[in-house]
Amino acid sequence: MENQNVHIPASGYRTAKGFCLTSAFWMMVATFMGLLGATELIAPDITENIGWLVFGRVRPIHINLVLFGFVTPGLMAAAFYYIPRLLRTELYSETLGVGTVVLWNAALVGVVVSLAAGHTQGREYAELIWPLDVGVVVVFAMVFVNFVMTVATRKEPVLYVSVWYALAGVVLTTLTYCLGNIIWRPDTGALAGIPDAIILWFYGHNIFGLLLTPLSAGVAYYVIPRAVKAPLYSHTLSLVGFWALLVVYTHIGTHHLLQVPVPTWLKVISIVDSVAMVIPVMAFLINIWYTAKGRLGEIHADIGAKFVFTGTIMYFFVSIQGSMMALPQVQRVTHFNNWVVGHAHIGVLGFAGMIALGGLYYILPYLTGRPLYSRFLADFQYWMVLIGVSGFTVVLTIVGLIQGNAWLNGETVYRLLPPVHIYYVLRAALGLMIFSSALLGFYNITRSMFFEPGESS
Amino acid sequence: MKMTPKSVIVGSVLILAAVVFVAVWLPYVTRHEKPSEIFRTRTPVEEEGRLIYIANGCVYCHSQSIRTIDWGVGAERIAQAGDYIADRPILLGSERTGVDLSQEGGEHPDDWHIAHFTNPRYVRPNSIMPAFAFLGMDQLKILTAYVQGLGMKDADARMERQRYWKKKVTEAYEAGPEENVHWLNEHVPQGWRDVPNPYPTTEAGLARGEKIYQDNCFGCHSPIGDGMGPAQPWIYPPPFNFTILKGREISGGILYYQIMNGITGSAMPYFKKELESEKIWDVGNFVAVYFINQSDANTEPRGIDASYEPGGFKPPQQP
Ligand code: HEC
Ligand code: HEC
Ligand code: HEM
Repeated sequence: MENQNVHIPASGYRTAKGFCLTSAFWMMVATFMGLLGATELIAPDITENIGWLVFGRVRPIHINLVLFGFVTPGLMAAAFYYIPRLLRTELYSETLGVGTVVLWNAALVGVVVSLAAGHTQGREYAELIWPLDVGVVVVFAMVFVNFVMTVATRKEPVLYVSVWYALAGVVLTTLTYCLGNIIWRPDTGALAGIPDAIILWFYGHNIFGLLLTPLSAGVAYYVIPRAVKAPLYSHTLSLVGFWALLVVYTHIGTHHLLQVPVPTWLKVISIVDSVAMVIPVMAFLINIWYTAKGRLGEIHADIGAKFVFTGTIMYFFVSIQGSMMALPQVQRVTHFNNWVVGHAHIGVLGFAGMIALGGLYYILPYLTGRPLYSRFLADFQYWMVLIGVSGFTVVLTIVGLIQGNAWLNGETVYRLLPPVHIYYVLRAALGLMIFSSALLGFYNITRSMFFEPGESS
Repeated sequence: MKMTPKSVIVGSVLILAAVVFVAVWLPYVTRHEKPSEIFRTRTPVEEEGRLIYIANGCVYCHSQSIRTIDWGVGAERIAQAGDYIADRPILLGSERTGVDLSQEGGEHPDDWHIAHFTNPRYVRPNSIMPAFAFLGMDQLKILTAYVQGLGMKDADARMERQRYWKKKVTEAYEAGPEENVHWLNEHVPQGWRDVPNPYPTTEAGLARGEKIYQDNCFGCHSPIGDGMGPAQPWIYPPPFNFTILKGREISGGILYYQIMNGITGSAMPYFKKELESEKIWDVGNFVAVYFINQSDANTEPRGIDASYEPGGFKPPQQP
């Protein structure tokens, strides 16, 4: 393999490795919680009388672990690798980095324990109680310091687009996290009434728009040109995509509230600019796809690049779908039902999750100086995740359409429970597949990191 | 454009600041603070119940946000900004795995909720809501107090109605079966009492009735119709024992009306949102045939037979 003799700095990429392991480990826990929740929707008494495993507690654990345990650390792992490489320097402080990883994991344990015990602020994506909020802000601040100081000590004058995304993603997430969690009100972490909904969805939406999307874009901009050994298609498109993302994505959170009494002008802005999201999305995608044009063989040959490239295709689908869902006529049918759950999984697992895994598999040989333990297992995981998330899309979209249309016809929620049952069963089966893929991934990643290569197939 | 660290960081923070100004701060300062006409503040026990609601993630399955396009529970009143001014946090919800609860207060009496929270399958056999018995009875009562306040002043009016009729149905029940049946019949409008079930008993109709009974009724009235279903220990007056009704002038119309309208005050819910006309006739006749052992299906006075009715055509007798 070409990367057999890569140069590994004395620091040994400890931070990047730590985030790889964090992501691989919490992917197992997070997907298990998802599977458990899906099972409870089929057999609600399966955890009867186990209060800390009641659906209403399992669900926020699942979501918080997916976001902050699996996807974000996976994307961070790649960033902690590519930032020093792109700037021809070493990470400012591996000690600070490793400290960040340790604190990050401690916070995740806190997330599981507190939510299972019913300590929650009850706001979607902002459930964490105040001490954990502070923990999250501190770890993001630590990451930011490490990135900025690395940039300050760089030997490469030009900042590559991946670095813009990583910097902006980290600093903006730190700020919106404080705002969205109303961090100046430790007791409730909330405003009152409709303004609370507005700020919550401003923040909730920016978890995808200012955290997952920029970090994923950063990884894609790094991995794809490298994997296909071609220069980036267009600097101008990089610029357009970057600035348009920041301008447009940040202010459309109100499309989560179109059927709620919020000011009409705010709804109008959010609808119009949800459609305008096509600008940053296509600027990014055209740039990546044209870079890879005619070189798909190279992408196919590298399992990391394969994950990442698939993630960009998912980004296309989730964004087109999202723009449609922001139209009030569409949302009459899709709101409040499993259609949105399908969308969330294409976005978070299909796009950001795939790219996180891709970044991880792409950098792993460079971190360890030897090939992956098993390319076969990684490929197997790829197909399991791909089939899992595509299956989710089909199943949840169908059941969402059934629910949405039936409700518009006056059908009650209760009467629809028997007909949607079979789709919940299929969803759990697909969930089992995704959970199994996380087990495979964890095995493969730890073997690659800690053991000499086996007979890789 | 040259991208320096400063331009990236300062530029993006400035953009965010502008967005926060327009999309968060402006709506905040121009917010609507006037209470709506149904608004009232919550009592201390309701506040405590709300915390239980939050801690157990009810919000992931239940919205509190009635829209113009809704038909279900609570659809009589579209949500207004002024309903929410005391909600910190606001609990709009983003998914309806269960029903909207904005106007849940007074939909059911307290005993229904206690049975339902203990295990939702007791009263709603197909429910997928988790059982909350693990909270313990004290907590369940507090949670029920919160749920019964949802809808604020409208809920209070409905609760007043529930309490008034709870007293009445309890008195009737305690006066013995004879009195109870009499009282129940008396409260069905005369027109309905005089109507027999206009449709003939058929095998298909009974099979449909049985399915509807199993999906909706057996948790209270039990599989054999004696009122000893799994919900019975929590419900008072207890679910009706149909087997005592023989010879007590229970017409198809009475059964239809009771099922459609429910018996406010008792745990007997109304089914008019859940069951359409044919389903109510079918389940009523199922109860009549199997549990009461006496059905007036297809007897006089009858109107013109519906077109589908089996059994051949007999011209009606001339008067
Ligand atoms: C897994 C999702 C889920 C969770 C979590 C959940 N519910 Fe439900 N809930 C449902 C479903 C489904 C129904 C409809 C079937 C039924 O009535 O049981 C329902 C029905 C209800 C009803 C009856 C509404 C009516 O009048 O018909 C109430 C009240 C209720 N839930 C309250 C709660 C409370 C309070 C909590 C939290 C302690 C909660 N639910 C948690 C799914 C859920
Ligand atoms: C939550 C429990 C519960 C459920 C579910 C329930 N019932 Fe009832 N039902 C009651 C109670 C309680 C009474 C009134 C008892 C009393 O006042 O003595 C009652 C009364 C009745 C009566 C009135 C009898 C009369 O003589 O007036 C009929 C008929 C009836 N139920 C049919 C049904 C049918 C059919 C279903 C299903 C579609 C059903 N019930 C579901 C609890 C329930
Ligand atoms: C152009 C881009 C996008 C647009 C316009 C868009 C639009 C929307 C809309 C309108 C909703 C609300 C649906 C409803 O409640 O009825 C929604 C929900 C959601 N979106 Fe997107 N989306 C986009 C991209 C993404 C991406 C890239 C991700 C993930 C990284 C994502 C993740 C989610 C999630 C998780 C939800 C569910 C929120 C909830 O809990 O209710 N979206 N999106």
